[in-house]
Amino acid sequence: MKSLSCLAGAAALAAAFMPVAAGAQAVVGSPAPNFTATDSHGQTHSLSEYRGKYVVLEWHNQGCPYTRKHYVSGNMQSLQKEWTAKGVVWFTVISSAPGQQGYVTDAEENAYLEQMHAAPTAVLMDPEGRLGHLFSAKTTPEMYVIDPEGKLIYEGAIDDRPTPDVSDIKGADNYLNDALMEAMAGKPVAHAYTRSYGCSVKYAY
Amino acid sequence: MKPDILFAMRRFRLIFALIAVFAAVPLAFAASNSADVAHLHVQLVFPNQNLNAGAPVNAGLYFKLESGWHVYWKNAGDSGEPPRVQWTLPKGISATPMQFPAPQRLPLGPLMDFGYEDEVLFPFTVQAAAAAKPGPAVLHAKVDWLVCREVCIPGKAELDQNVNVVSRAQMVNLISPSDQELWNRLAKALPKALPSPDTAVFQPTPTGFRLAITTGQRETQAEFFPEDEDVLDNPAPQTVTPTATGLVLELKKDANLTTNPAQLKGVLELAGGRNYEIVATPGAVAPPPAAPTFSFAALASTVFFAFLGGLLLNLMPCVFPVLFLKGLALVQSGAEERHKLRMHGLVYTAGILVSFWVLVAVLLGLRAAGATLGWGFQFQSPVFLALMAALLFFLGLSLAGQFDIGLTLTSAGGSLAAKQGYAGSFFTGVLAVIVATPCTAPFMGAAIGYALAQPAAVTFAIFTALALGLAAPYVALTFHPAWTRVLPKPGAWMDILKQAVSIPIFGTVIWLTWVVAEAYGANLLLALLSIFLLLAIAGWFLGRWPAQRWATLVAALLLLTALVACITTPRELAEAPANSLAQPLSESSAARGAVWQPWSADGVEHALAAGQPVFVDFTASWCLSCQVNERVALSQPEVMKAFGERNVALFKADWTREDPAITQALTALGRSGVPVYAFYSPGENNPRLLPQVLTPGIVLDAINKLPTASATPAPAAPSKQQ
Repeated sequence: MKSLSCLAGAAALAAAFMPVAAGAQAVVGSPAPNFTATDSHGQTHSLSEYRGKYVVLEWHNQGCPYTRKHYVSGNMQSLQKEWTAKGVVWFTVISSAPGQQGYVTDAEENAYLEQMHAAPTAVLMDPEGRLGHLFSAKTTPEMYVIDPEGKLIYEGAIDDRPTPDVSDIKGADNYLNDALMEAMAGKPVAHAYTRSYGCSVKYAY
Repeated sequence: MKPDILFAMRRFRLIFALIAVFAAVPLAFAASNSADVAHLHVQLVFPNQNLNAGAPVNAGLYFKLESGWHVYWKNAGDSGEPPRVQWTLPKGISATPMQFPAPQRLPLGPLMDFGYEDEVLFPFTVQAAAAAKPGPAVLHAKVDWLVCREVCIPGKAELDQNVNVVSRAQMVNLISPSDQELWNRLAKALPKALPSPDTAVFQPTPTGFRLAITTGQRETQAEFFPEDEDVLDNPAPQTVTPTATGLVLELKKDANLTTNPAQLKGVLELAGGRNYEIVATPGAVAPPPAAPTFSFAALASTVFFAFLGGLLLNLMPCVFPVLFLKGLALVQSGAEERHKLRMHGLVYTAGILVSFWVLVAVLLGLRAAGATLGWGFQFQSPVFLALMAALLFFLGLSLAGQFDIGLTLTSAGGSLAAKQGYAGSFFTGVLAVIVATPCTAPFMGAAIGYALAQPAAVTFAIFTALALGLAAPYVALTFHPAWTRVLPKPGAWMDILKQAVSIPIFGTVIWLTWVVAEAYGANLLLALLSIFLLLAIAGWFLGRWPAQRWATLVAALLLLTALVACITTPRELAEAPANSLAQPLSESSAARGAVWQPWSADGVEHALAAGQPVFVDFTASWCLSCQVNERVALSQPEVMKAFGERNVALFKADWTREDPAITQALTALGRSGVPVYAFYSPGENNPRLLPQVLTPGIVLDAINKLPTASATPAPAAPSKQQ
């Protein structure tokens, strides 16, 4: 009686702890999942094409006050210019679903880029949130850095001041700069994963 | 419209939208203690507007939000920021940091935030130093927050609170009733410290953390909010498993978490709005045995086998004649009665179902009442053991042919079944269940044991399937009476089957008797054997002079005497506990190099402190699988040799009799019963638990996985964590 219940319990436990299959999700320190996406000019980009280069992903929502902090101040644009000049590939990613804040058409986005003097390599349009889910992007802005070997080496906030105030940019510790500079100097990234701040990514729900 | 004009218009619209966003960022500069800005009202709350020098006063920052909008907890979750306040205070006045009431989960598509909707008050205290200057004072607060619905809007306000500083000598309060009402109503949402005997322990798992909380009662509902960001995967569902004294939560960790935290801090919300501040320390949390292991396939196969089991019950000698007699009646019935007979068949099914459901209800009731006891606890009661052994012995006698009880009852059932009317059919169903019990008790025991470890719905499903299985053949016959011909006729084979069933029953009696002797000594054994003799005499009377009133009376008297003896003698005779298990085994195994010692928490600590790995065998003599494991795995020469080579300290925790210390140790491991096998290595906080069914290979594997450094005893204290 007892032994049977023990056996039944053991069998039930064994069933409960079958390994859970993990999806191919981006994890810092592991190879970044490959993706293919279309930019705001209709061109297709695959992450694998950029093996050998650093790739920055910037999650973006032009209506989000935290994103605006870095665009109104010109901070994001100057980071884009500085790093693309050094051979870094910079993708701005827009994962807002149609009907949600931050969703823009290709033309609207191109107009915004021109108006803001923004200089990413390309803006990847992700209205279905595929890239967002692949990288578990949570907020705008949120930054990812992938090294030339295709490994994700940074995920998180752009800097250490989680406010929407332009005045907080000066004096902030910019995690993106830190990660790229450390990696290019052959050093490990000190803060490889930080909590991103900002507005939630406006996925469809 | 030309494309470039369209483009220009779009661009204009975009710029306009941006201006709108800017305009929406609210900035309130009010020389007031409250502000009404986009989507919320924010206010300083001072129930007592006098600051008595030297005495802290309660205060709070209050938000009233528009429907659908929320502000955030201190850990905002996947996005968002908590409100912040910056004080500018006159000299001598100070304010404590804001405290955060228990939040709620705010799902946002695939993301999960933690915060507050509708209204929230963040309490803090303000104090004027003893030497503060009396008179009016202005407390200036710069407050900023992020308020979100689908979109997020950062907000700021500067609030001024006018107060009076009152000198120590005067000590007067100036109560603001509206502020007092707000504070009283909302400040109680602050989480409380976990009351002192209650504990919070967590164990890292491959996917996250298993958090065990004891609150002294079964907890069925809980949400855990981690204080630290980036520790948990926020949107992942948290699986609650109630335990007898609390709950176990399965938490999924953040995919990017590389080192497990030293403590798991956060707020736990339980049913009924109870909130506790949790600081969980690392420890062993075993998956609870009653975990709702809800695999649909497993349930389906269990239900299928329960149905088969129910079918088999029909072949039991106690049930079969009922079925056969009723089947014959069906064959003799005319065609026009068929419809009515089918109805009878269904009513008979209902009778069986209802009896089983009553049994389920009783079982679930027992489980609820015995929630603090592990399954198997009843074997710790000598009275239970004696009654059980006596009952089975008596049934064995009957089955072996000394006398008939089952068949007498069955024929009573037959005559009852012969009565017409749906009530008759219904009670035939009930009777089939009752009559079946003498033959089916051992089988039902297994089913009950399994079902007890399952959630109520599963228990219910199992017993329903069992009932339908029992009812199925008769119902099939009412639909196709011709099938009765296929049934073997009752006859000598039934008697043989019946007598054969008595063999396993006597086997069970031997086991129970051994348990009694092991745990309670020879005196109780003598009493039990005497009870058996009384029963045998009673059986003789019943068998020799069947259906004689005086014989039945004598038998009943003997049975009564046996019953009284079962209840009274164990109490009187069982006081001498034979420390049965540890001794003989340690003697037999000493020769092989390793020695079993009786378990004690101190002993384990001691061995670990000396650098020895420790193996604990939680066992009981009434636990068959414990005995099997000890024989086939633990006492095997190669296993004992490996234990010896790695200098493993062996402890046997014997739970044959109730032992609060062992019960507590089991609870700490998240278990409520035996067997449990725990492997501790020095320097590791959490023991590794081996499966409940052991093979020598499993144990040897676990021994080989021990860190090599611990093979030689080191006198150093164990280092904590790696």
